[in-house]
Amino acid sequence: MNPDVQARLERLKSTPIDGQVLKKLVEAGLTWLRANQQIVNLLNVFPVPDGDTGTNMVLTMQSAYNEIVSLGHHGVGQMAAAVSQGALMGARGNSGVILSQLWRGFAHALHNQDVLDGPSLVRAFAEGRDTAYKGVVRPVEGTILTVAKDSATAAAEALSKTDNPFEILARVVMAADASVERTPDLLPVLKQAGVVDSGGKGLFFILEGMLRYINGEPLDTPTSTVQPISAMNMENAMEDIEPGQDFEVVVDFIPAQELDLQKFYAELETMGTSIQVGEGEGMYRMHIHVPTENRNKPADYIMGLGTITKVGMENLVAQMDEIDKKSAGSRIELTSIEPGQIAVVSVSPGQGISRVFASLGVAAIVEGGQTMNPSTKDILDAFENLPTDKVIILPNNKNIYLAAQQAKEVTVKHVYIIPTHNIPQGLAAMMHLNPDGAVEAVAARMNKSIEDVIAIEITTATRTVEIDGVSVEQGQVIALVNGKLAVSTASVEESCLVALEKAGTTDRELITLFYGEDLSSAEANRIVDVVRAAYPAQEIELQDGGQPHYQFIISVE
Amino acid sequence: MGEETTTLGTIHISPSALATIAYHATMTSYGVVGLAPRNLAEGLAMSITHEPARGVSVNYNGEEIDIDVHIIIEYGTRITSVADSVANAVRYQVEKALGMPIHHVNVHIQGLRISNPD
Repeated sequence: MNPDVQARLERLKSTPIDGQVLKKLVEAGLTWLRANQQIVNLLNVFPVPDGDTGTNMVLTMQSAYNEIVSLGHHGVGQMAAAVSQGALMGARGNSGVILSQLWRGFAHALHNQDVLDGPSLVRAFAEGRDTAYKGVVRPVEGTILTVAKDSATAAAEALSKTDNPFEILARVVMAADASVERTPDLLPVLKQAGVVDSGGKGLFFILEGMLRYINGEPLDTPTSTVQPISAMNMENAMEDIEPGQDFEVVVDFIPAQELDLQKFYAELETMGTSIQVGEGEGMYRMHIHVPTENRNKPADYIMGLGTITKVGMENLVAQMDEIDKKSAGSRIELTSIEPGQIAVVSVSPGQGISRVFASLGVAAIVEGGQTMNPSTKDILDAFENLPTDKVIILPNNKNIYLAAQQAKEVTVKHVYIIPTHNIPQGLAAMMHLNPDGAVEAVAARMNKSIEDVIAIEITTATRTVEIDGVSVEQGQVIALVNGKLAVSTASVEESCLVALEKAGTTDRELITLFYGEDLSSAEANRIVDVVRAAYPAQEIELQDGGQPHYQFIISVE
Repeated sequence: MGEETTTLGTIHISPSALATIAYHATMTSYGVVGLAPRNLAEGLAMSITHEPARGVSVNYNGEEIDIDVHIIIEYGTRITSVADSVANAVRYQVEKALGMPIHHVNVHIQGLRISNPD
């Protein structure tokens, strides 16, 4: 170890724990918990497998830390009281509430104390446990409560051997680790699911983070655990690219003998960052970000451990450029709303369509459509924070109308829903938006306008069926005119032409075609040329709609 | 109330059976230190009967099942978080046992208990 670091550690270990040191410890606990948040989330089994214990605990600790981050020199008692206050205010979920109670007891035991020594640390752990247990009539064992209890017991036992608080903490961490491993024996649902208790594991990470800080160990690389390969989060890893880590290397391998994870991680940590290891059916997958000069090292190292089945390498810098370009191109400028104006919320199934809506003055977009109905909450979230109470919703789909209706019921804002059943109707309604008008009158005008437009949707049939007198084979291209099945054909082009004919297009003026993500722009252009030839008198526009499932959404006005 | 017709006959599930499940789910929820009678009359009745589902009421209007729990919470816990987890636990446990959706779980905080003045 670097002598400077060594000296710093020695100094740290000999200084008494005052408020500032406690602050550092809390920060370390939070940082380490956050680094391992995904691991804790994956452990969730009860009451519903929603996997958010890690997140809840991080948010609770974050709130606790926010409370103390700007506090100056204070005694450890005052600092702990502030942590307790912050944890209480930010407590999220069951584990968060229990965590806040642990802090509450911890702080209570240190009341008015300036520094934390061994005996007071033991007292604080004990009081944390007692306070937490008071919060429930029938404590369930095999949870975070059990881990808190075992930790407090270990602290008390350690006091007979040492009164150094750091050494006591080291023993507490060991006991917490063992306690977490025992939780499945105490709680059958954990055993059934083959996991340990998530809240207990979270508490362990907080304690371990503190210890790692004291020992000068890094707090940003998640602990050496193996997750199922399917749970490895590769996309997210893109977000944590650090400067200098230019290559992403993924190696699939079968180890010759059982993998020593501690050693494996330690070796990888010398090469790069964002390390993840996954396992499935005897095969392991390793993921790492490394600097250019190290790009071959992971594979070389793993070659010595067993049989490599696959190596993948990607240049992250190039990928990032790509993403930057893409997101710059796809950023949608929504209309900003002044207080008192009418805000329109539109549901849109694709980027291109969103952009068109935005250009027409929509204030918020909710992603969704036929196969991905947004929830009431999605819709509500879209307009709750807008600085106006006049809201018009365009659901643009029959199935989304109900969610919009519910959003209307739960909000205090004045909400009007235009029953648009498709995108063309939504766009037609937008033509009549006057953001400064009387909301009732505007909504009425929009309502009326949706009758003027004919909507054609072209998609592929997902099953064989006969509706509205049209028989459809699975896989054929079908066209719906105003929601009614009009024709079933072999090609997109033919569907468009027949549907336009059935829609009485010759009497209309404007045809706008939005092509979906399943269609290339070259193919879309080719089909539009055919349409142009068939309707020379009409104005025809082609737009990249980006919607899934529908090759074309066509508006005829 | 909860009713299901099988080839052998009909299964009836009484509100008090559901209330018992809800009661146990509530009592094992963190932050709950007790259930409270809804009113004085119930309080009196309870002191003599020791009914296991006090503070829980189950309403069935022919279509939907609503459950109300009246609880006492430990002072110093975040009330909304505790109430949330009670609602989740009750819904989960009752739905798991019953196999039918519960429409609403309403949590009423009837009081706070102060066991740790600080």
